[in-house]
Amino acid sequence: MEMQPATDSRLELWHELMQFYIREAWLLDERRFREWLDLFTDDVFYFMPRRLNIHRSEPERELSPVGDLAIFEDDKTYLTMRVERLETGMAWGEDPPSRTRHLVGNLVAEPQPGGEVKAKTAFILYRSHHETEENVFAGYRDDVLRPTAGEWKIARRTIVLDSNVILAKNLSVFF
Amino acid sequence: MVAIGGKHQIINLETGQLDRSVFVDPDIYAEEQEKVFGRAWLMIGHDSLVAKPNDFFHTYMGEDPVILCRDGRGNLRAFLNMCRHRGNRIVRTDAGNTRNFACAYHGWTFSNQGELEYLPGEEEAYYGALDRDCLRLVEARLDTYAGIVFATWDKDAPSLDDYLGDARWLLDVSFNRLDNGTEALGPIKWLEPVNWKTAVDNCSDNYHVPTTHLSTIIVQGRHRGIPRLTHEQQFQSESKHLFVNGHSLTMRFLERADQARQTHGITADNREAFEAYYRQTLAEAERRLGSLRARRLQLGNHSLFPNGVLGLRLAHPRGPLQTEFWHFALLEKDMPEELKTALRRGSANYNGVNGIFEQDDMDNWRGVTNSALSPIGRKYTQDLSMGVGHDRRHPEYPGVVSERYTSESNQRLFYRRWEQFMNADSWDDIPLEPKAMRYEGTATLRG
Ligand code: FES
Ligand SMILES: [Fe+2]
Repeated sequence: MEMQPATDSRLELWHELMQFYIREAWLLDERRFREWLDLFTDDVFYFMPRRLNIHRSEPERELSPVGDLAIFEDDKTYLTMRVERLETGMAWGEDPPSRTRHLVGNLVAEPQPGGEVKAKTAFILYRSHHETEENVFAGYRDDVLRPTAGEWKIARRTIVLDSNVILAKNLSVFF
Repeated sequence: MVAIGGKHQIINLETGQLDRSVFVDPDIYAEEQEKVFGRAWLMIGHDSLVAKPNDFFHTYMGEDPVILCRDGRGNLRAFLNMCRHRGNRIVRTDAGNTRNFACAYHGWTFSNQGELEYLPGEEEAYYGALDRDCLRLVEARLDTYAGIVFATWDKDAPSLDDYLGDARWLLDVSFNRLDNGTEALGPIKWLEPVNWKTAVDNCSDNYHVPTTHLSTIIVQGRHRGIPRLTHEQQFQSESKHLFVNGHSLTMRFLERADQARQTHGITADNREAFEAYYRQTLAEAERRLGSLRARRLQLGNHSLFPNGVLGLRLAHPRGPLQTEFWHFALLEKDMPEELKTALRRGSANYNGVNGIFEQDDMDNWRGVTNSALSPIGRKYTQDLSMGVGHDRRHPEYPGVVSERYTSESNQRLFYRRWEQFMNADSWDDIPLEPKAMRYEGTATLRG
């Protein structure tokens, strides 16, 4: 990606999307998961590939491609199931719930022909669980944002963790 | 002969009481690395992960890092990932393709057949005095079952065929159904704060499912049209637990030969397509497995002793309180692409590190593990008494068979198998059940 000269309209878009991501982070950290779910289109593809430990000369092998086994490969139904199970009060992996803090930044937005925007952000997700457990997840997200009825919706999200072996008991939190 | 008694007496089969110290004691942990992981046939991968000559895949046997590779002649080999000079790891990546492995420390270079091929200064620095033949890579014995690769360090271990014994009679219905076999995708890797045995013994624990996984059972009923699983159904079920040579199996009966198997990823919407696939492949499956196994039986949750868990999933020990878990998806190669996609997504989304089933298991297993850290708690035994006296030999099925689908028979016998390994001086002391089943059909160990 290239940094573009900062015209007014680009600045405005950047600012608008940054607000979108800040709102998303608060929705997650305040456990407002239904509202978070509404940020996604009905045809969303929510994807986290495996991150391989390979030689520098083989960058094309570093991420497992679509079609290979992925960590997350959700459609809207899978995402909805994840949210709804929390509401049953019996999703024991998240009850009591994780205490999370999503820090999102380094936004780069690239408008596409047709009105969609490719938006890339970096994140640190801190999670504290039960009494003393802590995880830190770092990575980036590649989103495709689609303008829908005056709002941005996430039509595609690829989450890339900076981990090979994931140093956590589970990924029961959202990215 | 099999020794009676022995140092490790952890399970009482009459009362089902288990000594919790096996989950946390560092001395026991160190000993089981030798006596269990140093002796058993361990699942390490799949031939599809190293499909081409010179492919390698980095794996583990217990705590030992292992290079699974296909050498230039096409033979599968498993080497300890340890340079024979000072011991550095010669492979540092998850996978790749290479004819030889060059150590990044001083440059000793080994072929993928294990020979020390080259070292800097062989004539000058070593004065030609180094015996390269004695410095081959340390190699494990390797064999395959229907494409799944197993290895053992113990030259006295029985054949893989005998090690699996009649467990294979039932395993075949999942892993050995079709001529073209399976392919493995993955793995997803993560670190669980549990003793490895808690993850393994959970594989025959049908009792926990309606409680631990209730939230997901509810939402998958709502969104995927999957009938709700209840305790009552499981108590009434005709399904069985089978225990053979350390391997814990659960066996379910199919109502119809083409019934969609009970597998994550099958939904009300794609059930028809799966059933069509089972119809299309029935004749082939029946030729390979005979009619009972092809038409009537399905493999439920299971584990292969010691640490193979539910399909091709591995519980690598990482100290008494940690387990590195590897999740592969194992798919029949002939399955249509859209069905493979459904199973691949179902596999990771239900049972991976993010799995909406599996994520609810972790804190239970950790709780069980850590109960043994409690000075008061460890004075009390773990209760595995469910169904004591209600398991026995069966005229039609292999091993020790439970009367009911909900039973702790397999858990008791798993810990008894562990005792047998831990109290044995060598493989001579470890009992194996002779194979007694009739294997109808053409399928063999090799596929
Ligand atoms: S440790 Fe490998 S060459 Fe020295
Ligand atoms: Fe479970």
